[in-house]
Amino acid sequence: MKKHMPPGELARDERFVRFDREARFEDRRQERRTGPARRGRITPETPAAPDIARSMMHGIFVGEIQALEGAGRTCWDFDAGSDRDEVPFALKLDMARQCWDESRHCEISVKLGEWMGTEIGEYAENTILFEAACNRDAVLRLAGVNRALEGLAIDVFNTMREFGQASGDPVLDFCEDWMLADEVTHVKMGSDWLRRLTENDPDRRERALEFQRVVDKLFSYGGFRGEDDESPVQLARRFRELAGFTTDEIDDIAELSRQAAAEG
Amino acid sequence: MASLRVTVTPDTFTLVDFDPDRIAALAAEVASKVGLTGDITIEVDQTTPLGRTRVVSVDPVVVNVQSGAFEDAKRLRQLSERSAVDVLGRLFHRVKDRLDPRFADAPADGDLTLAQATAWDTYAVGRCERLGYHPSKPRRLYHFRNRHGFTDVADQAFERLWSAPAGSLSWADIQAMCDQTAAIRV
Repeated sequence: MKKHMPPGELARDERFVRFDREARFEDRRQERRTGPARRGRITPETPAAPDIARSMMHGIFVGEIQALEGAGRTCWDFDAGSDRDEVPFALKLDMARQCWDESRHCEISVKLGEWMGTEIGEYAENTILFEAACNRDAVLRLAGVNRALEGLAIDVFNTMREFGQASGDPVLDFCEDWMLADEVTHVKMGSDWLRRLTENDPDRRERALEFQRVVDKLFSYGGFRGEDDESPVQLARRFRELAGFTTDEIDDIAELSRQAAAEG
Repeated sequence: MASLRVTVTPDTFTLVDFDPDRIAALAAEVASKVGLTGDITIEVDQTTPLGRTRVVSVDPVVVNVQSGAFEDAKRLRQLSERSAVDVLGRLFHRVKDRLDPRFADAPADGDLTLAQATAWDTYAVGRCERLGYHPSKPRRLYHFRNRHGFTDVADQAFERLWSAPAGSLSWADIQAMCDQTAAIRV
């Protein structure tokens, strides 16, 4: 079986359409858009709240598929060992456990989609999560996927869990709570392995953290994720602490979000 | 047969790949099935990708939609005929209702609560389904539950609104169902 599979080769049926990034840049309407930050935090009083929630949870659904594929590839792409291009066997076991979690999340997300009236493939699929999982350096993968993107998942799940509670939706609340618990574990695995694998390699650690910052900023676009009420997705400080983020690291993400919001 | 003339503005789209003639044809078909006549204007705001929609005027009929409301969720800037029909069917039914004296006491659109607007939309979209279109009932049910509660009472009210034949409900009926679901919400 091939190692280091490119994102273009992900297997999808005809229901799925890949998000066209070029078309997004060519969309001149975006210049006039007030930005997702201006949309504000999603609450039951938000007029388009049900459709915003549906769209966001579909994004999470395809993210779960890619997280499964990414963790699976990390199990396969790297041999067990102590060389730079190898990973400890225990890391592969953690990735295998994550595959099991992500598989359940996919099934939960399909059922949740049915509950919310969303069809599989109703929205275009952005494959940036899997792209981050294609890095040749396992440590950078963990920083980009487990810490940045799974960290974002913590923020989204917590935001949607709170929305479910506020709107009285017991299914959304329950699903988010269960998946959130797993995401905290995934981020913690990323944090722990990042520190262990780069313990004696500060350059590699810095490259990994820089890669994480790039991914974090990408998803803070226009203030999409942040600590202000204007941000649709709220930075979940408490759960990030549980996942191994230091206060300084969380402050950095908050600052990145503020910068991204200011840049629009 | 009463005349029906549809105008789409702008007549040329530059920021989205929408065909105004196609939109006009879809609007004419939907309006005809709903039972509207006369002049109808569809104003498409192509400067924003957002998806707000509103009835600007009932007589003559003028509706305003942001381009995101007609857009294919999978393909940026492309027209989704299903979305266009969904939106137009819902808005045209509201227009049709407002022309009915039994809806004379309905608040202006801007004064409708989210619960009232969602209940009215349910009645409208259910009629679209019976006209042969294919709106997503589960999506509408989720909207309804968000505004009326995740309860059996709300689900029963949804079914009554969704399956109500054209012309069978008045504004008072819709308001009564809103009151019923509100009574059991905390």
